Amino acid sequence: MSREVDGIEVIGWLRSEEILMLEEGFTVGDDLFQAGLDSMAVMQLVVAAEEQFGVQLQAGDLTKENLTTAESLATLIRERRT
Amino acid sequence: MIRDVDVAVIGGGSAGLAAAVMAARQGARVMLFERQGFLGGMGTASLVHTFCGLYLLKSGPVAELANPGFPSEMAERMMASTGLGPIRMGRLDVLPQHPVDFVRIADELVKAESSLVVQWHTEVIGVRKNQGRWEIDWSCRGSLGKASTTVIVDASGDAVTAPWIGAAHEVAPRLQRPAYVFGIQGVKAFPDERRLQLAGMLVEGIRTGVLSKAALGLSFRPSGRPGELFGTLDLAGEEGGSIYDPLDPVGLSALEAEGRRVASGALACLREMAPEWSAAFISQWPARAGIRESRRWVGRACLTGAQIEAGTRFADEIGLATWPMEHRENVRGPKWHFPVEDRPTGIPLDCLRIPDHDNLFVAGRCISVDHEAQASIRVMGTCFVTGEAAGVAAAIKAGGGDPTASAVRRIPGHGNFSQAL
Repeated sequence: MSREVDGIEVIGWLRSEEILMLEEGFTVGDDLFQAGLDSMAVMQLVVAAEEQFGVQLQAGDLTKENLTTAESLATLIRERRT
Repeated sequence: MIRDVDVAVIGGGSAGLAAAVMAARQGARVMLFERQGFLGGMGTASLVHTFCGLYLLKSGPVAELANPGFPSEMAERMMASTGLGPIRMGRLDVLPQHPVDFVRIADELVKAESSLVVQWHTEVIGVRKNQGRWEIDWSCRGSLGKASTTVIVDASGDAVTAPWIGAAHEVAPRLQRPAYVFGIQGVKAFPDERRLQLAGMLVEGIRTGVLSKAALGLSFRPSGRPGELFGTLDLAGEEGGSIYDPLDPVGLSALEAEGRRVASGALACLREMAPEWSAAFISQWPARAGIRESRRWVGRACLTGAQIEAGTRFADEIGLATWPMEHRENVRGPKWHFPVEDRPTGIPLDCLRIPDHDNLFVAGRCISVDHEAQASIRVMGTCFVTGEAAGVAAAIKAGGGDPTASAVRRIPGHGNFSQAL
């Protein structure tokens, strides 16, 4: 996968992996925690991100800022891929 | 000696407690059978530490109790005991509850009722009808005994009476998965944001092979007491190698052992990786894993998931179910289905009654509903509602009256119930 990951792709991925049930119209800037992202979902997310994007997110990566929106999560994944 | 009572309640979880206390308050002679040495069921033996389903679903700033009577009384007693009020979790209001407080509150409630006898350490092992009355066989550590009762309330959680009396019952093909909850002490600090990094450390433990993948079902929550947390582990229930069956002792045994194994491994992992967890230890195991769903009664009516989704109300409702359908059919976290416009749903009295038997009522997570609706009504706040209604209906029936929904709703302590509906 050479194309850069963006927020739209992250939303589709969170939905298809059933990590979060995001409503229709959920945008890349909306709050993932308000949409139900909790510590258990974060564990699923880290495991799934390794399979899907080939990134090993570390405990230190898992800050509120990095995970708040699909946009910030996409940025984190891009950074960790390089 | 055969003890003769008006109402026998099988199972002393949140529904059975409500049923026994409320039947006794109507003047009935009540006997409550419980297998542990304390009451509270999931909220004590299984360490489930929030009362869900107490409050209306709404986005206002203040949590509003959905049902007067016993559920509200329990909320008040628990808040007075813990000093904690309701908290907002996402879109939901829940009341933190502590199992130690719950046990003591239940003790006080039953002690206040002179016509209520609690028989702890006792399993009911058989029920049959004899000339219109029920005969109950019980067992306590090799001692066998009998009781005779006018009315039974089955609050066993597993509809244990149904097969014994040849009544219709069912087990859903896809059951909600069990939870294994344990107590933790010695954690120096547990700031909210740190949960995310702890989750990352557990994944790291899985990556390096220190932990099994089952640790993915683990989360932590403060107990409300200084330095104490609860760990909650959602398990697949298939640790014994066969499909999950909460009525099979072999599978249940494997589940208990797996819960302890995964919890111990996760604690060892966090002691290594998180400095503030270096002195953490598991301080309490549950008496048993928390079972969310098993055998259910097939009653005179069946509340469905579609009715909960629509927020349906009924002429013969005895209270309100307000918890959204919370599915945990796998260990990948809850899947929520909210009703339209966050509406509450009425629970018909006929979901607590069964065909052919006027003198048996059911309460708690095994009432007559479908698998979807069970994902809403199983929570403790709603079990108080169905338990109270079953207990009052049982006392009315035992006294020769007609236990209609309006009669059940009109009892003392329900001052503004009609307005609440």
